[in-house]
Amino acid sequence: MKKNRLYLFGGLLLLAFAGFSFTTFTDSMTPYVSYQRARQGDRIVQVAGALEKGSYSYAEAKESLYFTLKDPKTKENLRVRYKGVKPGNFEDAISIVAIGRYDDKTKEFEAQKLLVKCPSKYQGAEVKTYS
Amino acid sequence: MSHVSSYLSHLFLPGALALWCAAIFALATMWGYAEALATGQDGAKVFARRSYGFFAFSIVLTAAMMSLLLMMRDFRVEYVYQYSGMDLPTYYQFSAFWAGQKGSFLIWLFWGALLGLLVRRTAGPNEPAIMGVYTLTLMGLVFILVRENPFVMLGKTPVDGVGLNPLLQDNWMVIHPPIMFIGYAASAIPFSFAMASLWRRKYDGWAERAFPWALGGFLVLGTAITMGGYWAYKTLGWGGYWGWDPVENASFIPFLFGTTMIHGLHMERARGRYRRANYVFAFLTYISVLYGTFLTRSGVLADFSVHSFVDLGISGWLTLLLGGFTLLGLFLLILRWKEIPTEPNEDPFLSRGTFMVLATITILVAAVVITAGTSAPLLTKVMSNPSQVGPSFYNRVSLPIAILIALLLSLVPYLSWRGNKFSEIARKMIYPGLFAVAVTIAAAVWKVHDVFHLVFILLATLALATNLQKTVGKYRVSGLRGAGGYLAHVGVGVILLGIIASSGYDESTKVTLTQGVPRKVGDLSFTFQRFIPRHGFEKERMEVLVSRPGQKPFLVYPKLFMNLRTKQTMANPDVRTTLFQDLYVSPIDFDPGQPRLQLAKGASGRIGDMDVKFTGFDLQAQGNAMVAMAAGKPVTIGAKLAVTRGGKTVDLEPLYQLDPASGQVKTPPLLLPGGGALVVSGINASNGAVQLDATGVASPMKLSVDVTRKPLIQLVWFGLYIIILGGGLSMVQRLREVRVRERVAEAKAGRKAA
Repeated sequence: MKKNRLYLFGGLLLLAFAGFSFTTFTDSMTPYVSYQRARQGDRIVQVAGALEKGSYSYAEAKESLYFTLKDPKTKENLRVRYKGVKPGNFEDAISIVAIGRYDDKTKEFEAQKLLVKCPSKYQGAEVKTYS
Repeated sequence: MSHVSSYLSHLFLPGALALWCAAIFALATMWGYAEALATGQDGAKVFARRSYGFFAFSIVLTAAMMSLLLMMRDFRVEYVYQYSGMDLPTYYQFSAFWAGQKGSFLIWLFWGALLGLLVRRTAGPNEPAIMGVYTLTLMGLVFILVRENPFVMLGKTPVDGVGLNPLLQDNWMVIHPPIMFIGYAASAIPFSFAMASLWRRKYDGWAERAFPWALGGFLVLGTAITMGGYWAYKTLGWGGYWGWDPVENASFIPFLFGTTMIHGLHMERARGRYRRANYVFAFLTYISVLYGTFLTRSGVLADFSVHSFVDLGISGWLTLLLGGFTLLGLFLLILRWKEIPTEPNEDPFLSRGTFMVLATITILVAAVVITAGTSAPLLTKVMSNPSQVGPSFYNRVSLPIAILIALLLSLVPYLSWRGNKFSEIARKMIYPGLFAVAVTIAAAVWKVHDVFHLVFILLATLALATNLQKTVGKYRVSGLRGAGGYLAHVGVGVILLGIIASSGYDESTKVTLTQGVPRKVGDLSFTFQRFIPRHGFEKERMEVLVSRPGQKPFLVYPKLFMNLRTKQTMANPDVRTTLFQDLYVSPIDFDPGQPRLQLAKGASGRIGDMDVKFTGFDLQAQGNAMVAMAAGKPVTIGAKLAVTRGGKTVDLEPLYQLDPASGQVKTPPLLLPGGGALVVSGINASNGAVQLDATGVASPMKLSVDVTRKPLIQLVWFGLYIIILGGGLSMVQRLREVRVRERVAEAKAGRKAA
């Protein structure tokens, strides 16, 4: 039947799309990793850390922001370069998540996106005085 | 007992009481409707309606109480303390209302309760079941708030609150969230109609009654998403309007499911088809709202989203709510699935019916894929370390979907329910087709060379043109009636063109501008003219002159300012809109020309060629500052300085004026002997330090900006307006239909009675 063939075609198309979505999904996954793992520079990852005080600067010639992230647990440092507009709340952040890839030539983590977290300040999580 | 009284003593009782009343009246409403269902008595229904009225009133009262506490800046109340502050202007108190979790649930509940009054009127004969389910959806929110009471008090009276997140201090943030919550609240309405219909086995008529509500929810959600995008574009300064952030997706997924629902309901209305599917669509639309709320408000994505909330103890309740309604819906769907009457699919391939099916499947697939992407951190948590997928995933997956949608849309206007011949469609499509080919060639000549993009442009233009042709045709025959759907489709074509042009072919350059020195970017010349200090509520701005040979120069004002409370630097872009493109100037960095000085009492520092010594604050600069502070009056503090320049030392005293009532800060510049000026840009009361900014003393000021040209971005907004307009027309039309049918039914009943 012609109709059955149509269903088959539609089903195959859906299947193909599901496959395409799945591979794209795994390709664009950005796992959270340690700085050590990030330094392998083999894929896009995300790293988190605290902004090292006073490490932020804007380099005009390279059109980039530079700063250092510090892992609160291991006390390791990671130099980050970000080509973009400095996010609001930046200096105030208790934690910054950088998504990108480590560049072995410059020894810098090249961030494509930054997530700035400053929850305690505005969520008032620590204000609990009532019993 | 002492436990209870200690709990009570930490509540703002009038507010808590209103909330408890709401809970009781909600229960009474449900009991009344249950009784009406069981006994069929009108008395029970009247009782239920009245209870609902009291419930809605209590919720309005609760919300009013919260607004009042915010307006009065009553910092005894924890919520007010956390999200408000003395320096927050009154209209931002509204933003503070929904800045936190409790407040956002309250605003959701507020709209839900008010909408319920209208739902009751449109519910028809199945009112008890519909309103029962609907009240149940509100009940969940009421209980969350009773548990996580927004009226908890601190047990002390702080003089000032923590303040509102500066990113939320924006006019768009005053109206965008509440509109979003109307959309969320409205999504429960078709769900209630559907579930009540399954429950009471009343399979006919629910779709018609739910249709205007589904359209209304779609419109409101669409408007809210547009506003959110506009806010991101105009104030955040990262250059885009959509970033596939979980919070954005959380509103987009219900919007997509809502889109499948309105198409499904249309099919049911016109052809009696899709009767099973519509239950699923109504279910998915509501559940996706709950799921999105769960993802963004429970803290599961705290490490993955820019504006996700951390968990404040609500996640357990949200899980319960989500799980409860998912199970309820699934249970009813499975229980009644076989019973739901269906019509066999006998549509030929080239017919409107088949294409509607294909379109809904495509949108459904899009919604599922985006849901999967947004849930990535949860999905991957099971396997190993949680990961999220970047925007590239969404962009790559949506391209084929958008191409398919455009293809389906371009054929829809020529398809009839009965089916058509291909030759007949091809003949009708000649002119729109030629137009689309012409636009595509123009795009290729301009700079589009990617084959996929060219196909995308061809089909999007075709969809725009064929639907526009049909809209005009319909308008000639029957006025705007019946043209809404096609008009909305025109909007989709317009948006697709705007998206591909503005995000695929934008040009961005970063430049550092030295004051007074022109710099070329393409054919434009940029000159950083001056820094304009803060004036009243007007933030610090930079004036940049943009000129092009042979044209009138114009000024843009990107802003890079300090939030006085948090000392954060905030950036706002300036956008110059012309017919064919936006010039987007976003500030990256501002170098005031010398290191800003921060001096503790007795310390000295150097600015340019000056030595500055800070000898202490002058609290008697204009009346006694401490007395004025205690009275809440404007306070003036002087900074006593000894400035040495060229061997000569002078005593200077620049002023810092604060009006606690309005939060306004004035820092009049003090002219320096020998040129330049000094400003007290901040004072730190806790360690007694002062922060000084000098202008025109040392090296010139420099401003780094990102200049982006975004071609045809206006089409994105324009297309969204068209969709909203088209959807609005459809909604008016469906409402009219429901009313006409009701009048006919009334007339019939009247004849019988006579």
